[in-house]
Amino acid sequence: MAQTRERPKPVLHPDFCKGCGRCIESCPKHCIEAGTEIDGATGLIPVQLRLDSCNGCSLCLEACPEPYGLDHESPEPRSSEPPHIPGTENLVAIAAKRRVAETIPDVRVPMPALRPLVVKGTYASAIGALLAGCRHFFGYPITPSTDGAELMAKLLPELEGHFVQAVSEVATINHMYGTGGAGLRCMTFTSSPGFSLMLEGLSYMIGAEIPGVVVDVMRAGPGLGNIGPEQGDIKIACRGPGHGTTQTLVYAPATPQEMLDLTMLAFDKAFEYRNPVLVACDGYLGQITGRVDLPSYMVKPGLPDWAVWGDAAHRPNLHTSILLNEADQEAHNVKLLAKYAQMIDREQRADLYETDDADVLIVAANTPARTAKGAVAVLRKQGIKAGLFRPITLWPFPIRALAPVLPRMKAVVVVEASNGQLEDELRLALSHADLHAPPPITNVRHYGGIMPQMNEIVACARAAHEATPSRRTRETEAEAAARVLS
Amino acid sequence: MKEPTVLPTYQAKDFKSDLKPIWCPGCGDFGVVQAIYRALAAIGRAPHDIAFVSGIGCSSRIPGYTTAYGFNSVHGRALPIAQGIKLANPDLLVLVAGGDGDGFSIGGGHVPHAIRRNLDLTYIVMDNQIYGLTKGQLSPTSPKGLHTVTSGLGSLEEPVNPLLYTLAYGAGFVAQGTPADMAGLAEIIEEAIRFPGFAFVNVQSPCVTFGEDDQQVKAHRAAMKPLKSIGHDQTSRIAAMDLAQQYGQSLHTGVFYRNPAPAPTYDAQVRERQQAMAEKAVPRERILDMFVQK
Repeated sequence: MAQTRERPKPVLHPDFCKGCGRCIESCPKHCIEAGTEIDGATGLIPVQLRLDSCNGCSLCLEACPEPYGLDHESPEPRSSEPPHIPGTENLVAIAAKRRVAETIPDVRVPMPALRPLVVKGTYASAIGALLAGCRHFFGYPITPSTDGAELMAKLLPELEGHFVQAVSEVATINHMYGTGGAGLRCMTFTSSPGFSLMLEGLSYMIGAEIPGVVVDVMRAGPGLGNIGPEQGDIKIACRGPGHGTTQTLVYAPATPQEMLDLTMLAFDKAFEYRNPVLVACDGYLGQITGRVDLPSYMVKPGLPDWAVWGDAAHRPNLHTSILLNEADQEAHNVKLLAKYAQMIDREQRADLYETDDADVLIVAANTPARTAKGAVAVLRKQGIKAGLFRPITLWPFPIRALAPVLPRMKAVVVVEASNGQLEDELRLALSHADLHAPPPITNVRHYGGIMPQMNEIVACARAAHEATPSRRTRETEAEAAARVLS
Repeated sequence: MKEPTVLPTYQAKDFKSDLKPIWCPGCGDFGVVQAIYRALAAIGRAPHDIAFVSGIGCSSRIPGYTTAYGFNSVHGRALPIAQGIKLANPDLLVLVAGGDGDGFSIGGGHVPHAIRRNLDLTYIVMDNQIYGLTKGQLSPTSPKGLHTVTSGLGSLEEPVNPLLYTLAYGAGFVAQGTPADMAGLAEIIEEAIRFPGFAFVNVQSPCVTFGEDDQQVKAHRAAMKPLKSIGHDQTSRIAAMDLAQQYGQSLHTGVFYRNPAPAPTYDAQVRERQQAMAEKAVPRERILDMFVQK
C-alpha cells in the first residue's frame, strides 16, 4: 500500500559535533540551539536538537561540515522495538500514538421478498448500484445512458446520497477517483464518446488502485456516431482502458436482470481487487424493459483500511500513480499484473445454452446474445444442433468454460454489433490457451447502430454447418503438419 | 484579411442551405440562424470563404443550415478546432457556435485560452440554460434552484455568467442578443465578425421544449433592454462588467464591451514575426547544412 513518507529528521552524533553552530543558522524552524554541556569523549560542546517543529528539510545536514555530525534518522525506528536515538524521543512517542486503520467489512442486510420490477436496463443497473450501497453518483448527460443518471438524481437525495452532474466526463471520472479514494462506492453511467474521455482517469485509478464502477451503454461510433446500439467499445474496454499496464473486469449483461446483478457484483469486485470495474452494455439493453427480480440482500458498505478517510488512523494512506523511480514503477506493474492474473484465474464467467449436444456454436454477448438464443431455437427446429456460448466477462474471456465444449463443434459463429472486437477477444483467448486449431470461425457483424438479425444468424450458422466436414474427419493442424513432414 | 477588388453582393438566402432544421418548432435557434444569414450577407464574404465550427448539442447543428464550410465537431472542443482551422488558413472567416453546455461546461476550459490567444474568431453561444438534446438536464447557466431531471429538488449550483466570465478573461468584444430582436441580433453578429480579434456573442436562445415560460421569445420581447437605449458606454470594460452582473435578472441586449484599441491578433503577430524572420532567413536549401556541416 502506498503511504506518505515522513521526511527523515536529523540525528546528532555528539562524538562528532564540534559545536560550530552552522546548523543553528541554517535551521528555518529554530530547532537547534547552542549546547551547554561539554561532551566527555571529545571535550567539545555539541549543539542540542529540539525537533518538535522539525519538518525534515535537511538544511542542517547540508550546513554541517562534519561527515557524521548530523545524520539522517535511520529508516528503521518504527519496528517493534524502537532503538533509542538521542533527540528523537518525541518522534517515537508520536509513532506509538498512531492508531492503525482497520478495514470495516461490508455487511449484507437481508431484504424482504419484494415483487419483481419491470424496468429498463439503465434503471435496473442504477437500482443495483443503490442496493450495492453506492451513494455517490457522478455523470454527464449522454444518450442513451442518461436515464440511469436521472434515476440516481431522483433517488439519491432521499437516501442521503450525492448526485453531481459533472461538467464533463473528464470531471466525472476524476470525481470518482476522489470518492473512490476515500474508500466509498461510486459510479457513473456513460456512453461511448464519454467513455473515451474517461480513459485517462481510468488509467490513473487503476494505477492508484482505486475502485469504482463505470457503466458504458455502448453506442455507434466512431466519433460522434449516433445513438443506436453497438458493441464497439469492447476493444478499449478489454485491450487497455487507458494508457499503460491497465486492465479491468468487463461485465457484459444481456438482460435488465443482469444489469442489476452484474452492477451489484461489479461493486464487490471493484473493492475486492481495488480496481475499477466496467459494465459494458449496448444501447438497446440500456433502454429495453424487462422483469427484474430483486436480490435477497443489500449491502451496507464498510470502509477499507487503505481509504484516505480523513482521520488520524488513515493518515499514512496515500493514493498515487506516480513512481519516479523506474524500479519502483516496474515493481508496481508486476504487482498489478499479479492482480490481473488473479482476475483471469478467478473471475471468468460464461453462460452456456444448449451446448451439451451442439455441433455449431454461436458466440455472442449483450443483446446480440438474446437474438442468438432465438436463432438457436430456430436452428434446432431445422435439425441443426446449435448452442450458444455467452461470455458474461468479456475480460477475462471465459476460455475455461469454452475449451471443453470446443472440440465437439464443427463450426463457430461469432455474432456481434462491432467490427470483430468480440471475435478478437475470442481468438486471443484461444491463442493464449494454446488452442491453435479451433473449428472454422465465421461471423455475423453489424455496425452503426444496426443489430445482427436472427435470420442472418440462422443463415450463417446453417452455411457454416453445411460447409464444414464433421470434426472427426477434419484434419487438425498438428496432423496436417505431421503429414507434410513425413 | 484580403478583400476581393470587385465585391460581389450576397443576400441572406445565399447562406441558407437546403437542409431543413430539425429543431423543435418555436426554438430560438431558428432566429439565430436567420440573424447569421443576415449578418453574413452584410459582411459580403462568399460562403466558401467562411468556416463555421460547432460542438455538440441542439444549437451545434447550426453550421449544417448554412452554406459555409461546416464542421460539427467534438463536444466542448469547437474552439480548439476553430483555432486549428484559423491557423491553417488565416484568410478564412471563422465562426464558432455552440450551446451553453458545450461552451461553459465541458468546453469551459478552452474559453479563457481562446480569448487570451486572441485569434480572429467569432464565438456565438446559444444560451438556453438547459441541456435540450439529452432531454432536459441541468446546464452550467441554469439558474440556481431550477428543477430538472437531474435536479429534482432544485439546482444547488450558482450559474455561470458567460458575459462576466468572458469580460474577465479579457475578451475584446462581448455582446448579448436574443432572437426576439432579430434585426438587432444580426447587427450584433455583424459587428462581432468585423471586430479584429476574439469576439463573443451570448444569445439568449430559448428552449421551447424544456425551457421556462419566462424565457420564451415572447417574454424576451417584453423584457429585453437594448443597451443603446440606456446610454451604455461600450468602450468601458468596467461599465460592461457592472451591467453583466445583471445576467439572469435583466435581459440587456447589444454590445457590452468593444475594445476601442483592439490588441493585435495572434495571427497578425505570427505574420509579423514570420515577415521579420524572412528578412534575415537562411535560404531554405541551406538549412540542412547548419545541422550537418560541423
